[in-house]
Amino acid sequence: MIVTALVVPFVIGILLMLFRGQISGRVAAWLGSAAMATSLVLFALVWDGRGVRSGEVDTMWIEPLRAHFHVGVTFWSWPFLLMTAFLGLLCCIWLIADDTSPALVGLVLVISASSLGVFASLDLLLFFVFFELALIPMWFLIAWWGDPHDPVGRRRAATRFLLFTVSGSALVLVGIVIVAVQSKTLQIYDLRSGSVVATSLIAIGFAVKTPLVPLHTWLPDAHSKAPTVGSVLLAGVFLKLGTYGLLFLGVFMSHRPFGEVAPYLAVAGAVGIIWSALACYAQDDLKRLIAYSSIGHMGFVVLAISTQSFVGVAAAVFGSVAHGLITGLLFFLAGSLKERFGTASMTAIGRGLYARTPWLAVAFVFAAVASLGLPGLAGFWGELLSLRSLYEVGDVLSKPGAWTLLGFAVLGIALTTAYFVRAIRLLAQGEPVPQDADRDLRGPEVIVSLALAASILVLGLAPGLIVGIYNFGTLA
Amino acid sequence: MRRHWPYVALTAVLSLAAAVWAIPQLGDDHGTTHVWVRGDDLLGVSLATHVDGLAAQVMLLAVGVGLLVQIYSTAYLGHHPRYRSYALAIILFLVAMLTVVVADDFFVLLIGWEVMGLCSYLLIGHEWETPEARAGAAKAFLMTRIADLGLLVGIIVIGQTYGTYRISEVLAAGPKHSTAIGLLLLVAVVGKSAQFPLHTWLPDAMPGPTPITALIHAATMVAAGVYLIARLLPILAASQLVMTLLAVIAAITMLLGALFALAQTDLKRALAWSTVSQLAFMFAALAAGDRDAATNHLLSHGAFKALLFLGCGCLMHAVGSSSLSAMGGLRRTMPVTFWSMTIGFAALAGVVPTAGFFSKDGVLDALNHAAHGSGILPDVVAEFVFYIALSTSLVTAAYATRLWLLAFFGESNEAHEAPQAMIGPVVVLAGATLALSIGQPVHVGIGLLSTAIAAAGIGMIVWAWRSQGDLDIDAPLLTHELGLDVPYAKWLPALVESAARMVVVIDRDGVDVYPRTSATVAKLASRGLDLVQSRNVQRYATVIAAGVALLTAAAVIWT
Repeated sequence: MIVTALVVPFVIGILLMLFRGQISGRVAAWLGSAAMATSLVLFALVWDGRGVRSGEVDTMWIEPLRAHFHVGVTFWSWPFLLMTAFLGLLCCIWLIADDTSPALVGLVLVISASSLGVFASLDLLLFFVFFELALIPMWFLIAWWGDPHDPVGRRRAATRFLLFTVSGSALVLVGIVIVAVQSKTLQIYDLRSGSVVATSLIAIGFAVKTPLVPLHTWLPDAHSKAPTVGSVLLAGVFLKLGTYGLLFLGVFMSHRPFGEVAPYLAVAGAVGIIWSALACYAQDDLKRLIAYSSIGHMGFVVLAISTQSFVGVAAAVFGSVAHGLITGLLFFLAGSLKERFGTASMTAIGRGLYARTPWLAVAFVFAAVASLGLPGLAGFWGELLSLRSLYEVGDVLSKPGAWTLLGFAVLGIALTTAYFVRAIRLLAQGEPVPQDADRDLRGPEVIVSLALAASILVLGLAPGLIVGIYNFGTLA
Repeated sequence: MRRHWPYVALTAVLSLAAAVWAIPQLGDDHGTTHVWVRGDDLLGVSLATHVDGLAAQVMLLAVGVGLLVQIYSTAYLGHHPRYRSYALAIILFLVAMLTVVVADDFFVLLIGWEVMGLCSYLLIGHEWETPEARAGAAKAFLMTRIADLGLLVGIIVIGQTYGTYRISEVLAAGPKHSTAIGLLLLVAVVGKSAQFPLHTWLPDAMPGPTPITALIHAATMVAAGVYLIARLLPILAASQLVMTLLAVIAAITMLLGALFALAQTDLKRALAWSTVSQLAFMFAALAAGDRDAATNHLLSHGAFKALLFLGCGCLMHAVGSSSLSAMGGLRRTMPVTFWSMTIGFAALAGVVPTAGFFSKDGVLDALNHAAHGSGILPDVVAEFVFYIALSTSLVTAAYATRLWLLAFFGESNEAHEAPQAMIGPVVVLAGATLALSIGQPVHVGIGLLSTAIAAAGIGMIVWAWRSQGDLDIDAPLLTHELGLDVPYAKWLPALVESAARMVVVIDRDGVDVYPRTSATVAKLASRGLDLVQSRNVQRYATVIAAGVALLTAAAVIWT
């Protein structure tokens, strides 16, 4: 079942790229949607409960290296898998239009399938192969279909993205080799490492991907120059490869040595929350603003992971999934604006979108309010659990340290409110100056926005859907 | 009219449901707890409700004023192109307010608490074309939400301390860590109820539609802070520090609010300051440990302040402005509004037999008792607050009279009475302001004292009016509200903006140095290696020869 769920989007994606001349964009996008929907349904159905590895497939792959083709769904990966398939599906739906290039749909499918592969892998080498496999198509996505008004800039952003993440991957690879040699196996759940060096290398590698300050400078460029679906996949899925890796590293692979690294990660996460919020406050380009806001949200996730506690794990998973949905919605809407006005500059788009494009404005305000962590919407619970894990201190951090970080995080929430209120004031409110390009949401945009808004609301009102999976202990 | 009735009907159904739920619980001190969904996962959030006498009263106040405001709005804003979103936001607000009141789980309460804040933000910014509305909405949302973070952290501390997020279980367990929890909750309450030093957002929220002011910024949301403290009083009253701080904040706020109200030239803004001051009365009663006095004043203030704001809306409807200079002499042309608002102003000033008289006396009596050794508040503090409250009563009677005279007396203005849908709710609230005084306890000594003080305040203003013919207050410090808003309006935004600019510059020119440096290093290295592989045989030979010579020399020297 899992193999089918991985192979279908992968194969259809490659076919679409090969036969890009023979097929219309609209049909290609429909095919892609069907493939991702299949994948989503299969991953949803394969789940047998959190005690087991659902849908496990294990065959020998490269014997001399003892590498297996070993995939399965565990309670770690399931929420990530569902979110990835869901976002991949929405990206394909978004592309249902006549002027879509079939190759673009193909790239989206390959990227989604590779990311699904990362989350589904139970073999370390396979994990790494999928991890790398997702990068190259993303370069093409940014460099070829990125910002049409800035061909040089988008190429530079794509190369920058690739160099940063490949450098990070190189560190991860070295770390993985050390761990694999020590553990004498590549099976992810059997890996145990006591090496601080390997743990640090892997942690830095994933920190590039997450990203943590000061390894983040690739992100605003890449997100703002990428096409809409590229930004959504970058923020929604790619950053989660980093947090998923860190989560895995800290909880299973190197539980003990991770304690040595965790305080540094936590400080970087907390600094990132403040740093990115301040950067957001000064942005004019909406896509850059959303990109920077992602750094802050990932800061909360990293803080939670660095406590190495059960609450922290739940916080990290919830925060990652919620961020994928909320930032996905924000990037879709920013994409709608950029498509209409040719730019994401808030001054160029102008004020009063409430009057000019009412539903687009309402959807944007909804996403912004969710992103600033209003209780009752998905963004809140991840932040709350993250703060709670800090308050409870966990195993690694010291009490004064954790409580100081808690203070930073709370200040970050305040600043986050400030920059979203500023963005709403600049875009949605104000004396409307109509432009020719004013056009409200329509067709696929409506479907995608509604689907994401509904999922944000559902997770906000029923956080137990995800937290219930991580029910290792109750509050008392 | 047709496009309005679904929203009014929806509000009526909601009000009816809440009333059916609340009325049987009136007078029930223990209340009924009901767990709808038990949260036994890591998060520990249960969907649970608890309705006792206090909750029932506040529920009835919220839905009562809510329904009246919804009816009032059909005439006041019925022709607005965005009436639909406005009416829906009111309904969402009412649901959120009811959630806060009935919640028995701190997180459920927090959801209601913050959704109320969001509705307040959206409704203040209803006229988002105007810069005042945008600025007021942003300020209100930012100040209250940042203060709400105190509640968020407080809830986390409560969860860790008590092992539960259920309010009834926390209350049953008795006080633990009262000071820490109390201080955190106080931050949120001071923000939400616009108390010093976070009081400046409420007057700036006045560009919002007047019915919204009546509902959210007078009767319900701002009173939610009072409700929260009242609900948790058994826990918080264990900490003398928290109660003293609350008393001092209340004392400062009540006097400042009343003085600022006295100096205003705008009726609506004056009423906003009056709300700030009256909320402080409720907090003073809570600090004195008297929950009933506080909630009594909450209810009567809810009724008469909603009445005054809705009446103010009628005046604005008639003269097109909330400025006092545009009003005057309206008692002949708008008799119903005049008589209703007269009852409202009388209640504000504390004149017998309105509800305001009895409930304010309850507060004064509670403070007087606290000054004589009952409750946890130090006697000195209680005495201090008691005298401040008496002084505030004097100022309150004065500004209420001033506003009443400036709006309804003096030179006549052309005006006509507001439509029935607007005047009806005002009359109903006037009736409620009188009816709520039925069965109230009377404190004879305090009652006589406060009546004398009110008479003095009224007399002063009437005498000034008679002798000077105008009531201009020439006190620049008061009209500028002591400059207390400057840190929020100027310094803080400037600080954040400069920090933000600095971060952007450092990100570009500082943090980004290492990737650029590594790019340069890579280029230099490639050029260097390029030289080595020049395919020039002569150069290779030269290098080899030089190397051999060097090695030979080295061998000769070191052996």
